[in-house]
Amino acid sequence: MEEVDKILIHALKQVGTEVSEDIDSVKQFTSELIVEAVVRCIRVIEPGLGSSLPTSLPPGMSARFRVGMSLAQACQDIGYKGEIGYQTFLYSNEPEIRSLLMFLVERLPRASAEASDQPTGKSAVLQRHIAAAIKTQLAVPWLPPNCRLPLHCEMQSVGSLHSFHTQHLSLPHCSKGKKQLKEVRDYQRDILPPVTSQLSHQASVVASILEQHTAELSAAQEWEHEWNSQGLLSRLTPQEYRSKKLTRLRKRIEEQLRSAAQTSPESAFGVPTSTSDLSELLQTFRGSAPSDHILTKGTHFTHTQKFTFTQETAAAPSAIPIGRQSEGDVQLQQQEELASLQQQIQQLCTNIDQIAADMKHMTVTNAQVLDELKQQELGNSENTEKLQVKKKTIDLLPDADNNLLKLQAVVEASAKRVVNLASQWEKHRAPLIEEHRRLKEICSSQDLESSRKLSEIKSLHEKIHMSTEEAKKKEEIYKQLVTELENLPHDASRSAYTQRILEIVGNIKKQKEEITKVLSDTKEVQKEINNLTGKLDRTFAVTDELVFKDAKKDESVRKSYKYLAALHENCNQLIQTIEDTGTILREIRDLEEQIETENSNKTVANLERILDDYKAIRQENSALAAKIREG
Amino acid sequence: MATTETQLMLSVGLIEKDVNGDTLWVWCYPSVASDLRQLLLSKCCLTQDGREFHTFVFGQFCRTWYYISTVEVQEPTALNKVTHFSIVVTAKDFNPEKYAALSRILCRMYIKHGSPVKMMEAYITVLTKGICQSDENGSFLIKDYDVRKAYLAGSVKDVVSQFGMETIILYTALMLKRRIVVHHPRIEALLEFTRVLPALAWHRKDWSILHPYVHLTDTELEDLKKCPGYIAGFVDPEVSNRSDLFDVFVNLPDSVITVSQGAKDAMAMGKLHKDVGQLIVQSAEDAERSDSQVIKDVSVKTKEILANLAALAAECEDSKITLEGLKQHRFPPATENFLFHLAAAEQLLRI
Repeated sequence: MEEVDKILIHALKQVGTEVSEDIDSVKQFTSELIVEAVVRCIRVIEPGLGSSLPTSLPPGMSARFRVGMSLAQACQDIGYKGEIGYQTFLYSNEPEIRSLLMFLVERLPRASAEASDQPTGKSAVLQRHIAAAIKTQLAVPWLPPNCRLPLHCEMQSVGSLHSFHTQHLSLPHCSKGKKQLKEVRDYQRDILPPVTSQLSHQASVVASILEQHTAELSAAQEWEHEWNSQGLLSRLTPQEYRSKKLTRLRKRIEEQLRSAAQTSPESAFGVPTSTSDLSELLQTFRGSAPSDHILTKGTHFTHTQKFTFTQETAAAPSAIPIGRQSEGDVQLQQQEELASLQQQIQQLCTNIDQIAADMKHMTVTNAQVLDELKQQELGNSENTEKLQVKKKTIDLLPDADNNLLKLQAVVEASAKRVVNLASQWEKHRAPLIEEHRRLKEICSSQDLESSRKLSEIKSLHEKIHMSTEEAKKKEEIYKQLVTELENLPHDASRSAYTQRILEIVGNIKKQKEEITKVLSDTKEVQKEINNLTGKLDRTFAVTDELVFKDAKKDESVRKSYKYLAALHENCNQLIQTIEDTGTILREIRDLEEQIETENSNKTVANLERILDDYKAIRQENSALAAKIREG
Repeated sequence: MATTETQLMLSVGLIEKDVNGDTLWVWCYPSVASDLRQLLLSKCCLTQDGREFHTFVFGQFCRTWYYISTVEVQEPTALNKVTHFSIVVTAKDFNPEKYAALSRILCRMYIKHGSPVKMMEAYITVLTKGICQSDENGSFLIKDYDVRKAYLAGSVKDVVSQFGMETIILYTALMLKRRIVVHHPRIEALLEFTRVLPALAWHRKDWSILHPYVHLTDTELEDLKKCPGYIAGFVDPEVSNRSDLFDVFVNLPDSVITVSQGAKDAMAMGKLHKDVGQLIVQSAEDAERSDSQVIKDVSVKTKEILANLAALAAECEDSKITLEGLKQHRFPPATENFLFHLAAAEQLLRI
């Protein structure tokens, strides 16, 4: 019982009840203390109910009575199922108070529940601390600059703000596998300044480091993700995969640039520089000659364009420097200039037209010449072939018929030989092809196997990954909880309670076992009794009959029958007495228990108090009645 | 002339697809260069991912015509582990019917005997004698397949019925030796359409400009660019973005002909073209006239135009036309432009 009381007192202290240090059991609670404790608990459980109740008992008897009634009502509203009334508070007894307080303490809302919902992890803790610090800073009221204390200056002035400015950092790194040059290593060791001094502004250290780190981290994560999703499936080594990706991307860029370069020459004649740049770019990609004639044509065009444009722009500025002469002269001069310029323009236009026409002519004749050339070449090659055949025929012509026969024989012989060779080759080829096909089949079946195993490996990897993550998380939670546990107040030691509870549970188990044993023993005994009683009855019945039969004839048998009946009767009485004794003993035990509980109720003291209070109430009533009569 | 004709046949090759899904070049005679071999493997429908099966396709590469027949192997057969095979015949001349018939015979022999040796015997007899026994009654004679029949085998009437008056664009492009690109997703339609187009310029009888089956690969496009004017057929719809490859683009499924920007001034058309176009349409619509008669009508008109041009040339010294000479005749600008370019194409222009 002491532990229960300790827990109750601890909980009441947490609610706000002032319990002095030397009270350590519910028995010692006075009525005032009880009332205060109950009211504070009700205020926490249901603020609406509790606000109207006073925490201390008023002096007047009737007021006290009223308070008691309202408290009892409030407890019943909360849901207390036991018997409760004003007497529980004013004339209390231990068991009732204990059960009421236990009910109320159980109903107190768990303040600790919210703490366990927060996310765990070092970064979460850090973020919580940051949030708490910012909250406190925000809670400080803003003061104008002149009124600020140094503490405020730290938090509220503009000088502590920095813009987010990053600079590139060069970090030493070593790539796995490749040997670094000695010079590079020396440079990195001796000359390369540390990161914090590489920057021009001290303020951008944090920003630069953050950016560098985030860039590296995101690149690594992306590579990880891509490798796990596509790289593993492609079954290439990482380097091969990377080089393949590079070529693929280059091809795409090529295509895009080509399509962009195609559209621009057709659309814009007035954007010469962009097409020539794009064409140069394309050249650097392909680096091959055949496209040259298209590109040079383009650049030739653009060159002439550029040339004419620059000429025009050169012509225009020359018109500008005019001296400040008299108005009429100036006008005349201007008109003359205008006329000459227009003439120039006309001439240039005609030049352009002529050059364009020339170019057209050139292209057409060029095409014609190329065509002719090609046809000539083809004709030449055909003619050389024909010439060769004709030469050979002429050589053979003198002896035409013979040679013809000979030729035919030669042709037939070589045809036969070729066929022979083909069949020999076939003998070699067919088994090789068979072998190839058979091996390919084996290879494809192995491929299936290996892809299945690959997927298994992947799933295993995932499981490993997940389990490591879980283990990490659990370790973090464990560390956090250990630190929290150390930080917790040590007033109510839970381990002692849990020990006691476990002990009690063990004891109860043992008792249960003993009870079951006793019960089974009792059952056995009862069964035996029943058996024996039955046997007895049967035996007696049989004996009775037997003897009675003989009793009619013989005198001694009649006497023995009478003795038998008396014996049976007396034994029955004995048994009855024993049973009665047992029952009475049980009743004695029950009554003793009842006496004990009643004794702890301190009923006598309560009765005296009740009588006193009753007298006090009667006095108050009479006083009030007198007042009314007077006033 | 059987000997000169058989000199046209260059090689025969065999491609097999087996139960593992591999397509292999298994045999050839006498030999096939490795880049041509690569090309033929890519043209053969067995290497392409699509499930389409083309019985017979043909095309041109580096002035060599190739003809590919593909056959699916049915049980029972002497060939094991082979699901499909193609026979490739390369030759110097354009004659799809002849080589299709030859390939059919070779295919049947291969299926029956399961070994290329028999097939080669048949090929050599055709090569040396110009004749070969076939399984069906009768034999395969080279001289049955005249090249003129091949030229006339396509149907001009179908072309005209699909494009109507726009056929004149194709005619002009052909006369001026321009680059025509035709697109259709199905190869058979492409082959059928493109093979008849050179017939519109019958006076040249030049089918070497025809490249009916081209893919957008670097080697093939380089080969294509060697010809100043060509008719190229593409199955790949991407070709419509490659305006550097064509002066005239024919979208066959949508029946749309587009002239590219760079060629618009050269292909400007006037009254002369209108006349020719009307003639073509009328001749084709006439149900009484056959395809060859339509081609003949067109060629008659073409000869007229060329005769005029020759007359103009004869007036100038060294019988070559110049632009100034043409200008003197005060033709309408479109006709003058056309005659100027036609003279260049027919090599009548003074350089």
